[in-house]
Amino acid sequence: MTREPILKIVDVVKKFGEVMAVDHCSIDFERGSITGLIGPNGAGKTTLFNLITGVLQPDSGNIFFKGGDITGKRPYEIARRGVGRTYQLIRIFPKMTLLENLIVVGKGKGEKAVERAMDLLRLIKLIGKKEEYASDLSFGQQKLLSLAQVLMLDAELILLDEPAAGINPTLQNELMDLIHQLNRDGKTFIIVEHDMNVIMGHCQNAVALNYGQKIAEGPCSEIQKNELLLEHYFGR
Amino acid sequence: MKKKIPIWLGTVALMVFLAMIPFFASDYWITLLVLIFIFAVYASGWNLFSGLTGYTNFGLAWFIGVSGYVSSLLIADYNLPWVFAWPVGAVFISIVSIGVGYILLRIRGVYFAISMVALAEGTRELFGTEYLSPITHGGKGVPFVAGIQLSTLYWAILFIAFISLLVCYKIASSKFGLRLVAIREDEQAAETLGIHATRDKILAFILSAFFVGLAGAIHFTYQNYIDPSFAFSIHLTLTPIVMALFGGVGTVFGPFIGATLFTLIHEVLWAELTILYMAIFGGILMALILFFPQGLLGWMKEKGILPRIRKI
Repeated sequence: MTREPILKIVDVVKKFGEVMAVDHCSIDFERGSITGLIGPNGAGKTTLFNLITGVLQPDSGNIFFKGGDITGKRPYEIARRGVGRTYQLIRIFPKMTLLENLIVVGKGKGEKAVERAMDLLRLIKLIGKKEEYASDLSFGQQKLLSLAQVLMLDAELILLDEPAAGINPTLQNELMDLIHQLNRDGKTFIIVEHDMNVIMGHCQNAVALNYGQKIAEGPCSEIQKNELLLEHYFGR
Repeated sequence: MKKKIPIWLGTVALMVFLAMIPFFASDYWITLLVLIFIFAVYASGWNLFSGLTGYTNFGLAWFIGVSGYVSSLLIADYNLPWVFAWPVGAVFISIVSIGVGYILLRIRGVYFAISMVALAEGTRELFGTEYLSPITHGGKGVPFVAGIQLSTLYWAILFIAFISLLVCYKIASSKFGLRLVAIREDEQAAETLGIHATRDKILAFILSAFFVGLAGAIHFTYQNYIDPSFAFSIHLTLTPIVMALFGGVGTVFGPFIGATLFTLIHEVLWAELTILYMAIFGGILMALILFFPQGLLGWMKEKGILPRIRKI
């Protein structure tokens, strides 16, 4: 069995007018890895997420998921193939209950979907609020719900956009523990984060972007040694 | 402990009572109820699409007028019995809606609303032209008689209103209905969670077209007349929307309650205060929008008088 990367980004370009949001990026993400995607604001991290999930189409280049070309495919097609993502600004469905937020995502219907949704609510410890509207949850609880939605999709590759932002350290630890548990179960993660403690403490590898270009890539231990390089680009 | 409302028991009992109406009520009440049911189906059909997906359809008259014309012309010019003409009209507009939906549902928000207005207005103009008058009879309209008794027409629209209510209830409780609400809440997020938004929107659009078209076919048979300015009138778009707002957008029973209350209030005001009724009516509508934007059922859900479940 070939150890093909689960996600291959090949020479992808995305321009907005004259601005090069993603500038000839080529990155491989290994199956079963937790990779941090770092860079200053405007580096192209969220744009890259939007390109992978089909929300935006690249101007050139290709994106391969599990060996199949997903370039130009519609978001729902890519999601159904097994790519899930959460957003920087939480995007759950506020006027639907927690249970409905999960059932609407799942494949299949009926009893099985409800059971799976209930299991996930138990996993994120929100089973007691299953009939409450998602808008009634706290910020941190909404983050957990959006992760549960991605799990309901049965995604193999999960893109998390600043999962630790705006939540207290206890909840942060709970969230990261959950990510590690899911990683042990075979899920691959790409995490955009500004909190270097989260990146260095929980990711195996990291990719650094700036002005749409990949400027560094490798195990976190090496990126850490390259801190001088990162300081030069990002400042402190 | 929440009080369980035996919804279906009450609805069936009401339907049985309404079915008996032609046996004891005067023609005035039967015709009033016919109009209530027609507009209830219009409001419910509008709500099925716009209430759930959030795409505000300001061209409801397009469904009504096209289906109404197909049905009325089949009766008037081809002597097709109404029992066939009505469903043909409804199926025709449903099929055309597939193509229209595929194009227009890519546009969001206010631009979608405007494009539907343009479609209704444009079709009205087209149906009045010399070019199409060999088929549509142009601006002079089509007076016709379908050979249907008032009581039969009443039972037909009562039946369709009941089916429409049943379909709305089923959709509201289904995963399809949940997907439509998800599309309203956040279409892009819904897509990235595997929901085929275009397909679901078009399906809801077609269902809306079918029921509204069917009620439209019956409406013009009841009126014994159709012409472009009447068939595609903005009044036929706006009144059902106001009724749905009145009763509660996004609820199942709201449009029916809204249609009933709206028509009864309208009748009372028109009878008692003929000169001032539009002014008072406008005042009521403004108060509604300002103080009860979620409609009667929405307000009752908020206050805990009704449970907050999606099925009602």
